[in-house]
Amino acid sequence: MNVRLESLSLTTIVMPEGRLDYGAAAGFQAQVEQLLAGAGTKLAGVIIDCAGLDYVSSAGLRVFLLAARASQRAGLSFAICALKPAVREVFDLSGFSRVIVVYADRAAALAHTPQGPV
Amino acid sequence: MKRHTSVPSDAAQLSILTQFLQEFWSAADLPSAETLTFELALEEIFMNVVMHGSPAGRAPRVEVSLALCDGCLTLMIEDDGPSFDPLSLAAPDVTASLEERRVGGLGVYLVRQMMDAVSYQRLGGRNQLSMTKRVREPTQ
Repeated sequence: MNVRLESLSLTTIVMPEGRLDYGAAAGFQAQVEQLLAGAGTKLAGVIIDCAGLDYVSSAGLRVFLLAARASQRAGLSFAICALKPAVREVFDLSGFSRVIVVYADRAAALAHTPQGPV
Repeated sequence: MKRHTSVPSDAAQLSILTQFLQEFWSAADLPSAETLTFELALEEIFMNVVMHGSPAGRAPRVEVSLALCDGCLTLMIEDDGPSFDPLSLAAPDVTASLEERRVGGLGVYLVRQMMDAVSYQRLGGRNQLSMTKRVREPTQ
């Protein structure tokens, strides 16, 4: 799985692409942890843009859960957006879309992400 | 249409099993909308055997078969590891808060939700988990 990062002032957008399965989960988790560890005061929010994500299993869901918790503890806003229908189904069935904020697209996620320290 | 393959219970085999499923999908010309359901079921149940059903020093053999009959696809996963019924796992609390949320048991829960029918039996020293879902309308 490929992961791209894009920084917009105080928000970092993470773009996982392809399959977030058991084999890809550990690497993705390490990248997200590194991002959050280096956040300091320079970052107010993290958005995971899933427009390129084709597949997620429970191993992948676990990374989203850990990232959402770590963001909350660090005082950062955390949201995901642009889920493909099949991925959306997994988020909905697992109940994750009740505890993680999901936006239809990146523009909506950015509109709800604070542009200063929260 | 039927296909069968067999691998050791080793996480590195997951990509080989996924490829086996995708090749079946292409060969049977099945609609792509249901692929994820079966890929997810294959990963969750196989990884359960790898992580929880493989005693130290012995990797059970895992048999995977796909059978398409009248628009219904059945995925059967068998292993010769210790007796274990994944359907006996308690369902996770999918309404828990962010801090209290656990991922244990979530994979099997998702499989049960997404498939039309799931059944387990212990037969001849093997765990057999059978999962079926309609993937296209029956032929007229």
